[in-house]
Amino acid sequence: MKELDARGLVCPQPVLRTRAMLEENNPGDIKIIVDNVAAKENVQRFLEFQGFNTVISEQGGDYLVTGSHGGKTIERGAGDGAPEQEPAGVEEREAYKKKILVICATDRIGYGDDELGKKLMTSFLKTLKEMGDELWRLIFVNNGVKLTIDGAEALGDLKSFEAKGLKILVCGTCLAHFDLLEKKEVGETTNMLDIITAMQLADKVITM
Amino acid sequence: MTFPTDENVIVGLDRADDAGVYKISEDCALIQTVDFFTPVVDDPYWFGQIAAANALSDVYAMGGTPKTAMNLVAFPASEMDLAVLREIIKGGIDKLKEAGVVLVGGHSVEDKEIKYGLSVTGTIHPLRVLTKKNLRKGDRLVLTKALGTGIVNTAIKGGVASAALVESVTRLMATLNRDAAMVMADFDVGACTDVTGFGFIGHLAEMVGGSGMGARIFSRQVPIIKEAMEFAAMGFIPGGAHKNRQFRESMIILPDTIERSLMDILADPQTSGGLLISVRGNQADELVSSLKDKGVGDAAVVGEIPGDDLHEQGSAEHIWIV
Repeated sequence: MKELDARGLVCPQPVLRTRAMLEENNPGDIKIIVDNVAAKENVQRFLEFQGFNTVISEQGGDYLVTGSHGGKTIERGAGDGAPEQEPAGVEEREAYKKKILVICATDRIGYGDDELGKKLMTSFLKTLKEMGDELWRLIFVNNGVKLTIDGAEALGDLKSFEAKGLKILVCGTCLAHFDLLEKKEVGETTNMLDIITAMQLADKVITM
Repeated sequence: MTFPTDENVIVGLDRADDAGVYKISEDCALIQTVDFFTPVVDDPYWFGQIAAANALSDVYAMGGTPKTAMNLVAFPASEMDLAVLREIIKGGIDKLKEAGVVLVGGHSVEDKEIKYGLSVTGTIHPLRVLTKKNLRKGDRLVLTKALGTGIVNTAIKGGVASAALVESVTRLMATLNRDAAMVMADFDVGACTDVTGFGFIGHLAEMVGGSGMGARIFSRQVPIIKEAMEFAAMGFIPGGAHKNRQFRESMIILPDTIERSLMDILADPQTSGGLLISVRGNQADELVSSLKDKGVGDAAVVGEIPGDDLHEQGSAEHIWIV
């Protein structure tokens, strides 16, 4: 089990160190020692957000946050005997609906004729609604960001997706690279961390 | 500790409020307040604006009109370029100009860490002073700025916020509460405060405790910076939010259907937050639409002071979150 001593660190440092450790190697289980309540709560939230189950125990004045991929969330008080299981959370309410993430890294589909490729992409975006409410997030990166700007063929369809509550994320680095930051008409500007997190939370990732 | 006082003190240290109020004649009282802090954003010009908007806010929250201000500056002049200080002060002055307030002096000291703020003096009619302590049964609560600046600023420190979000939250913090206060003056308002370091829940708790009334909060209607929910779920929460929540835990009735991140946001310490206004229930919707007409776009009805039935059930001095 990987261990991290985050004592003496001020928020958001404990979360950032935890994140760095997860990025370095994705361990099955992880243990973080912190010395204040705020850091304990924040590290616990971060691990749960990343899909870990967490257990908190007190050691002297410090807190040990243990994250694992099995079992239930348990909070163990200082002098408690047997740990109590928390009731199943509201997080489970939508457990049966699949979350599909679609990533468009291009503004045309396939190789060959570019004009045909662009037509296909427009048709793809217009037809995407057939996925229904399992379509969870739509991300545009690299040349794909050109599909979100003023004048793009399927812009109207993307806007109506967004109006219906679909989260559309557009890579900020890519918009800046093509000098299109001002021209984006739909979606939120995003960063690589959001994209990685979305990939991790999704049940299915489709890359165009 | 006992504090010196006299019969002209309308609001003093004995009743912690946004600012002190001192009667100088039958139709005029002075409002005095001071506020300063370390930088909350990297850009010195915007930091100056935010510090000024924040210092002026206490006068607006009391229902008064700010008139004069003095700078308070701590700056490491031997290590840092004075151009940085110039930008901070320029930001402060520009915000004062926007508010129609004149800078009449100031004081600076050499310090390792930058700090900037202002002492502000305003005026008000002695009978028109709005404190935190007059919630009335049947009032509704209106909030004028979105919550979540503390969480977003923590995410910014962690390097996970987009440039667009940095800009929009900076503008939000630098926005004066003047327009909100001007609109509020035309309505039957019982109590008002501005939401700052103790978070929405902490400042509401002061109103609730001071008035001997309970409040019910419609958590789904509270305006929030939308990215703050996700940052809260990721653990980018300032230490102050945890302290604010714990400190008021015994007052709060929280059903388990409310997501943890939403409660984190209600407890999140705000920099230069909005006004929390208690208005006659039948005027609340009109107040919100007038605020929106004046450009206070985040304004929303966020709660109510329940009538007798609920108070008889023992909800006095509690905050019910629904």
